[in-house]
Amino acid sequence: MTMLNDTQEVRTSPPAPQKRSPLYLLTGLILGLILGLVYAWVINPVIYEDTTPASLGDADKDFYRSTIAQVYAHTGDLERAALRLALLEDEDPVYTLGVQAQRVLAEGQEAEARALALLASVLQGLPQYQQTTTESVSPQPTATDPPPSIPTNTLPIPTSTP
Amino acid sequence: MNRRVWRFVFFGLAILAGFTAGLGYGWVINPVRYKSTSPETLRRDYQTDFILMTAELYNTEGDLPLALARLDFLGDGSPLALLNAAIDFAHTHHYAPTDLQLMQVLAADIVLVLGETE
Repeated sequence: MTMLNDTQEVRTSPPAPQKRSPLYLLTGLILGLILGLVYAWVINPVIYEDTTPASLGDADKDFYRSTIAQVYAHTGDLERAALRLALLEDEDPVYTLGVQAQRVLAEGQEAEARALALLASVLQGLPQYQQTTTESVSPQPTATDPPPSIPTNTLPIPTSTP
Repeated sequence: MNRRVWRFVFFGLAILAGFTAGLGYGWVINPVRYKSTSPETLRRDYQTDFILMTAELYNTEGDLPLALARLDFLGDGSPLALLNAAIDFAHTHHYAPTDLQLMQVLAADIVLVLGETE
């Protein structure tokens, strides 16, 4: 009789409410995030169609820069050359031209090196390029500092000595 | 609706929220970046300017194979098609007549020497 009463007490007691953690929400969020990233990066990524010369690869930039320099060497149109060169968004156009001139000269392309060096030399004479060169090549110039090494019109190989 | 159904609804909403956040991050905050794009993807005005440079060089050098090699920079398509597109663009955007003429001369010489047609 006692046992029967105990059994009845268990049956009539209300079931304890199940406290489930909201972990499933986090799982859903992460799953959705992964799906979203896969869709945005792999399935349907942003496509660049109308790019600028500044986004070209290094080799293509070199070719573009070289073409600008060669056109300048033939036409002497500095304004147009400077505008075109600005499209490449080089940090220091004069320095970049000089480095490229050295490189192509080492590869034996003298005419191309001369054109690059000529443009670098002429651009360095412009105030805005002088400022850029001074800031990036010698941050703290003094009166006794040697001039930054840039190629010249008559000497296509830039040297580090003044 | 019972508790189980609600859980499915919330689970679906969580996936949707995550998906939206993923899209926002992948498309807006940190989209795929192309650091080394191909010259073929250059905007039409930049392509036209490059073609003009090629024509300017051809005007002084007179070296057609070299000019064609330079035009290859913009892709494997027909050089004449590229030139004609550039001439059209230059005409529409009122380029200087001398610039237009330079490109027209190059296009004419390509047709003359190579007999290429679009």
